[in-house]
Amino acid sequence: MSNSLSIAQPRKRALLWLWPLMWGTLLLLSVVAMSAAEPLFRWIEPDARQVIYDRADFYVLLGRHLLVVGIAALVTVVVGVSAGIVVTRERGSDFLPLVGQLASLGQTFPPVAVLALAVPVLGFGTLPIIVALMLYGMLPIVRNTLAGLQEVDIDIKTAAHAMGMTPTQTLRYVELPLAAPVILAGIRTSVTINIATAALGATVGASNLGDPIISGIVNGNMAYVVQGALTIALLALTVDSLFEVLQQPLRSRLSAA
Amino acid sequence: MSLLDALPTPRLRWDGRHPNTVLVSLSLIMLAAFWGLDVVSMAPNRIVQGTSYGALEALGWPGALLATLLLSFIGILAWQPSHRHYRALLAAVMTLMALMPVGLIASSYLLIDPELPQARLGLGATYWVVLFVLLLCLIEIRLRLKLTRLWPTLLLCGVALVWWLCATLWLDSLALVQEFKARDRQFLRAIGQHVTLVGAAVSISVVVGLVLAMLMRRYARLQKGAFAVLNFLQTIPSLALFGLLLAPLAWLAANVPLLGRLGVSGIGTMPALIALIAYSLLPMVRNTYIALEEVSPDTLEAAKGMGMRAGQRFWQVRLPLALPVLLEGVRITTVQAIGLTAVAALIGAGGLGTFIFQGLGQAAMDMVLLGALPILMLALVVDAGLGALAEALRPGGTR
Repeated sequence: MSNSLSIAQPRKRALLWLWPLMWGTLLLLSVVAMSAAEPLFRWIEPDARQVIYDRADFYVLLGRHLLVVGIAALVTVVVGVSAGIVVTRERGSDFLPLVGQLASLGQTFPPVAVLALAVPVLGFGTLPIIVALMLYGMLPIVRNTLAGLQEVDIDIKTAAHAMGMTPTQTLRYVELPLAAPVILAGIRTSVTINIATAALGATVGASNLGDPIISGIVNGNMAYVVQGALTIALLALTVDSLFEVLQQPLRSRLSAA
Repeated sequence: MSLLDALPTPRLRWDGRHPNTVLVSLSLIMLAAFWGLDVVSMAPNRIVQGTSYGALEALGWPGALLATLLLSFIGILAWQPSHRHYRALLAAVMTLMALMPVGLIASSYLLIDPELPQARLGLGATYWVVLFVLLLCLIEIRLRLKLTRLWPTLLLCGVALVWWLCATLWLDSLALVQEFKARDRQFLRAIGQHVTLVGAAVSISVVVGLVLAMLMRRYARLQKGAFAVLNFLQTIPSLALFGLLLAPLAWLAANVPLLGRLGVSGIGTMPALIALIAYSLLPMVRNTYIALEEVSPDTLEAAKGMGMRAGQRFWQVRLPLALPVLLEGVRITTVQAIGLTAVAALIGAGGLGTFIFQGLGQAAMDMVLLGALPILMLALVVDAGLGALAEALRPGGTR
């Protein structure tokens, strides 16, 4: 059924790809050809000796930024979704209230404080920011996994059981597909927040797109700050619109059902 | 939307024969952490890296035995849970928390050479893990005993008081206390700045948020545009927003003398406040809007039928009913602002973040703790306090 739908609306799907393509192109342009915009930045900072951040190439910074956010997202998704699955099973239901509260506690901890507390244990560099991002991004994923799995109609689960499906099959072929849109929405929120938050890593020596911002603040050079902020905002918009493309077929499949 | 709304109320099994697996496993985790990780570290002075000590060395065998007994007691009580056992568990958890500084005092007698006045005691991983897991136990017990958030919050305040007393009276050798004593004036001023900044940002955004939400309800076209702008603001990293405000404000202060005299400047409080408000507006407006929209039309219709005027309907029916969800927005905003204000220290706004960044710069981790711990505690206290308030204001039985 989902096939016929996606054939019926090929134009709409193609249009959806337009946004990530556009943001992605802008991002690539800004990363590769930042120096071409020198006159613009010269206008922002007429007195500065240097207006283009040059301590590291922007594509390297972007790569590191993506790596940090990607690792954090991978761990958070694996841990968060499996925790959500375990506590909604009969066996793990004892842990359900605690996991829900724990996830919300994770977002109460300010990322700066977590970052600061992680440095003595993990040392300076990339590791503390990954830990901080994992804690901060956990809530949306766990919350949405729980909500998605619990929203699955009990009648549908009973029907699956009556058809002779084992609990694992029910989870694999019924519950997870039905909960997928909600879970994906949680992952989207988590990743988008973390792209912006990862910039904080530059304060503890993790080199990423936060670097130009920090060095701009320290040296009073607005142009650096703009360059860092612009790249991060473009990255966030690209990833966010990619998620939109991923979510759309799931949504239309559900509304058809 | 708050977590409480998103999660269906968990159904708890009140079955005396089943062990409470949550508390039993938490108790095992704590026992493993107690014996497996470092309890304290001791350094002869501020610069040298400290040596770590395990449970036996740090507490002596009586202390280690007492802690082990108390930790296993939690697991044993949880094996056959009943209402009475949960109360005993609550008492055990509180006792453990209150005994933590006593353990530190014991360590300082056992480990610190009185001839080394510079020697300092650092908290080891055990303390952090056990404290965190005890908090989890507290959450679990609260849910089982069906207590409101108020009670655990009050009990925790009591424990904090005990810690404070022990720290000021007997724990001079604790590194954290030494860092505090070295800059206690600065610390108190930093807390004052932090709280003032957060308070100002949140109260301004409450007012602006309310006005914006009401305008959105009236002019539907405004809604989409305003949410788009506010959403976009959130994608800019907080660090960048603080930085971006430096230049325009400095220019304004230099070119408009009146503003300069009013305290507007490129560096310091003003850009921090503006950025904080910009970040606070999205959660604030979203929650206020949802809160006002969610009020049941039937109730409003009834109020109309009773002859209430539009103003009365708003102030006496819609707003009180919307208040709990609105307070959720205030809670989320405040917790977020407490964290963001720490970042604002980078642009000279002061506050507790100063210690974090200074400490990171000097690689003085105890100083980092001096900044990070109060921020964490502030966030937790505000979260618990406003959560309890929202819970208390929720009209009974409507949900």
